[in-house]
Amino acid sequence: MKAFIDYFRSLFLLELFRGLGVTGRYLFGKKFTLEYPEERAPQSPRFRGLHAQRRYDNGEERCIACKLCEAVCPAQAITIEAEPRADGSRRTTRYDIDLFKCIFCGYCQESCPVDAIVETRIYEYCFLEKGQNVITKDKLLEIGDKHEPQIAADIAAQAKYR
Amino acid sequence: MTEESTITIEVDGRALKAAPGAMLIDVCDAAGIHIPRFCYHRKLSLSANCRMCLVEVEKVPRPLPACVTPVNDGMKVTTNSPMAVEAQKGAMEFLLINHPLDCPICDQGGECELQDVALGYGSDASRYAEAKRVVADPDIGPLVATDLTRCIHCTRCVRFGAEIAGIRELGATGRGDHMTIGTYVEHAMGSELAGNVIDLCPVGALTSKPFRFQARAWEMVQRDGIAAHDGVGSNVHYHLRRDQILRVHPKDNEAVNECWLSDRDRFSYQALSAADRLLKPLVKQGGEWRETDWQSALEAAAQGLAQARGDDGNQLGGLLSPSASLEELYLAKKLMRGLGSANLDHRLRQADFRGDPPKVPWLGGPIAELEEQDLVVIIGANPRKDQPLLGHRIRKAAMKGAEVVYFNPLKLDLNYRAAQWVANPRDWVLEVANLAKAAGVRKGVVNKIKVADHHKELFKRLKAADKALVLVGDLAMGHPDYGLLRCLAAQVAEAAGARLGFLTPGANGVGAALLGVTPGEGGLDAQAMLAEPRKGYLLLGIDPGFDLENPAQGLNALMKAECVVALSSFRSPDLETVADVILPLAAAPESAGTFFNIEGTQQGFNGAAPPAGEARPGWKILRVLGNLMNLGGFDFNTPLQVRDEALGMLGDAAPDNGFEPDPALELTLPEAELLRIGELPIYSVDPMVRRAPALQATADAQDAAYLRLNPEDAKRLGFTAGDRITVSQPQARKAVFEARPDPAVPQGAVALCTAIPGSQALAGRFGEVTLEKA
Amino acid sequence: MGFKMQPMTVPEPAPGKDQLFTPEIRAEIDRWIAKYPAEWKQSALMAALVAVQDADTDNNPGWLSQKDLDDVAHYLDLPPIAVYEVATFYSMYELKPVGRHKICVCTNVSCMACGSDEIVSHLEGKLGIKLGQTTEDGHYTLKEVECLGACGGAPMFQIGKQYYENLTPDRVDEILDGLE
Repeated sequence: MKAFIDYFRSLFLLELFRGLGVTGRYLFGKKFTLEYPEERAPQSPRFRGLHAQRRYDNGEERCIACKLCEAVCPAQAITIEAEPRADGSRRTTRYDIDLFKCIFCGYCQESCPVDAIVETRIYEYCFLEKGQNVITKDKLLEIGDKHEPQIAADIAAQAKYR
Repeated sequence: MTEESTITIEVDGRALKAAPGAMLIDVCDAAGIHIPRFCYHRKLSLSANCRMCLVEVEKVPRPLPACVTPVNDGMKVTTNSPMAVEAQKGAMEFLLINHPLDCPICDQGGECELQDVALGYGSDASRYAEAKRVVADPDIGPLVATDLTRCIHCTRCVRFGAEIAGIRELGATGRGDHMTIGTYVEHAMGSELAGNVIDLCPVGALTSKPFRFQARAWEMVQRDGIAAHDGVGSNVHYHLRRDQILRVHPKDNEAVNECWLSDRDRFSYQALSAADRLLKPLVKQGGEWRETDWQSALEAAAQGLAQARGDDGNQLGGLLSPSASLEELYLAKKLMRGLGSANLDHRLRQADFRGDPPKVPWLGGPIAELEEQDLVVIIGANPRKDQPLLGHRIRKAAMKGAEVVYFNPLKLDLNYRAAQWVANPRDWVLEVANLAKAAGVRKGVVNKIKVADHHKELFKRLKAADKALVLVGDLAMGHPDYGLLRCLAAQVAEAAGARLGFLTPGANGVGAALLGVTPGEGGLDAQAMLAEPRKGYLLLGIDPGFDLENPAQGLNALMKAECVVALSSFRSPDLETVADVILPLAAAPESAGTFFNIEGTQQGFNGAAPPAGEARPGWKILRVLGNLMNLGGFDFNTPLQVRDEALGMLGDAAPDNGFEPDPALELTLPEAELLRIGELPIYSVDPMVRRAPALQATADAQDAAYLRLNPEDAKRLGFTAGDRITVSQPQARKAVFEARPDPAVPQGAVALCTAIPGSQALAGRFGEVTLEKA
Repeated sequence: MGFKMQPMTVPEPAPGKDQLFTPEIRAEIDRWIAKYPAEWKQSALMAALVAVQDADTDNNPGWLSQKDLDDVAHYLDLPPIAVYEVATFYSMYELKPVGRHKICVCTNVSCMACGSDEIVSHLEGKLGIKLGQTTEDGHYTLKEVECLGACGGAPMFQIGKQYYENLTPDRVDEILDGLE
């Protein structure tokens, strides 16, 4: 009996028509595809993209060289060197993130006691030359300065969950 | 601990044996039961002010601090009962009331006792809502940084100052909430052991200034080593990040350095990254220095030495640092002997080579036994600054009631009570001779003097003392009558039945003497080979302007030589003037080696960091040099092979202070209006120390730069403090120093240190000087 | 054995002790030194500080200058920090200039219950200074102190070495007027 039913199904290509049915349903249904770059997917405030370093309102860099991000980084992508600045405060002299190593886990942002290192919503960037994968402190601060309103809004939105 | 004298107590259900009267915390520590603590430290007195070590003792209604609770037979202790834990949590909460939450910017973060204990006993939130205390940070010198807001008032640093360093500088001023640790009147800590408060401080209130903000505990690796600046051979931990030494900590070794480390050993690592570090081989071509590769530099060195040698090996001389490792010294000796030269010496700051030298001068006994002496006579030394941890041991003996007597040409700033018999450099020898006469010596110099009563008394006490020691140190060795001083000291020691000891300079002075890095048959000693200039010289780890007894004579002889090959870790103007080839030498922390410390203990170490630039360990350089010069027996692959061969050669040779005193030695130092006293300052002993900026910024280093003379002499000569004085010595260039009247210097003497900037122009450490206003 | 069990002296006594203070003060300090074992000169520290503070001979009566503290250390062969510790611990040693009359008002429980607050505000109003301050003419210093052991006569204050008890604002005026 089972052999008969299998024969019947294969003879009339039932499986094929069932598959075509699915295709047909999506062919005429609502479209999901985004027309990137004209269209963008919505982003969560928790999105973990390119890193940035932030400043306080008075222009002072936030980072205090505590090195917790360096310690927590599972990919060991962060390299920090520090020394006392002329005013005696603890500051980094070098803060490099190797984006080839980075796995965008967000632990650095999580561990930062002063919200200095953050991951922004930026995900469009490229490296045209060797070495550009390492972003330095100056670049990080530049990114931070440029996107501060968005970063601040995202952190404010997440404040109650942290 | 005999069986009858032990008692049994029970801690957390475990039966422990203990000596009656021992403190509970010690017994628990020995058994591996951890009790949290802040103020307790096994080397310091008990103060029981942090209250962190509270434990529950059966039949006692309240928790007791384990650090001051003596054990009793049958005592039942619980360290983790609800009562004990609640008490500890309470103590923790109080300690945290005023402690700032600034761990992210605190250098102690990650290795902080408070942080660790807070994790175990602290609460997740504070109930304290009031304002926290803020304390201003005093500047207490170039070595220790202060952040006193973090202080939890354990007073370890205060007790360290009073009990170990011997200078009460830090104190607890104010009361209650206003209590602060500090010097009250801002001034730098003057102790040569001050760096230890960094280790002692359980929080980040006192941290290392040179290391400030450099690295975290978790990113560093720890490698062991032996400190290379004095004969103690302190055991150290090097802490490195990315192959760079960032700080040095002591490694516990009760027999050597206990748990302490002198500032010199702690901060000298700074020199490894000095600006004038030699990174590539240098060869002088037509009067110009050119950086070159190893091959051509070594060939130039081999060729130069061979040419200078000609047919007579004794045209070569070797001046080797007493701080070089056994391996380096062995190969250097093998090289020189292979070239047929008997001129080899490591006693570079010794002025007088008359008489039979001690076979292998050493301390005369274990370092730890210093503190058990009843009477110590110290001739020509300042152990407090020369070998700070030996000074600490002698201080311990003095605090236990030992009598310490100093015979020196100038008065020392001591941190315990001791008799100081001070006389100008010439009379000083006569003072020692006086003691020798009291000891019954009847030949030689003693004939001309009349023995004084106090010398007789001292000798009587020396003879009566159960454990007596006569130490001869660096100042005596630099004296032109060292042979005589040594003779007199040995005769006194023998007559009194006391032990004789030599405070030999360098980290490996004993090793060098064991190896026989001394003139061979018919060879010239360090003085003679410069007085009778050779055609070629090999310098190992020295800077001729600073590390020779008579730099003027030394530089002169080296200038005249056809070829000077120097192995050095650093560039220096003097070296560049006199040398022809300078080969970059790995510093002690960068190469494997072996030191014999002043008590004769063999201590080996591996290179902790890779050598800077193209520098290479000394044994590798000398190996290739030996091979290039076609000398056999230089095929070594590892420093262990070198060491084994060197040790094999030593056989069972042991340190031995024995020598035959020569009663015929005469006093040679002429009488003069002013005689120089050429002290070796604590932070000038070797090229590394001289390049550590933090050490050079200390008062000890800064004060060494002055020309000090007795106020009476100053008045007579019309000098006042701050005057620029031109100093001239026979057969030397003139040099200018700033005058400072100092009553510690006897009349007729001028204290002008050796191995300080400017002193290169001068001649011997002792001898006639003339002064005039610049 | 800790350093507190051993006399805390400098390794070597400094010379020139006879140049310090006045003969009267030296005699007073020596009287106290004599009460203790010879090596425990340190025991006379508190009395020495009192003697120096009370002495009216130098131009800083009633308080201890930095030099005074150092001189006491010198006289007793103590490390200076040992003197600083004691002088800063006790509130009755004045380390800043004080007025000719030091008014020490007790504000502890008994006095407070009997109206010391009123006395304090009256004094503050009358002298125009707050607690812990000195009037500009250097006449009065107002100081809050802990219990002076005269609870039976609360509220009270002390001026100089004299206790004044059962104070009322009127009585305070009277006392202050009576001072020169």
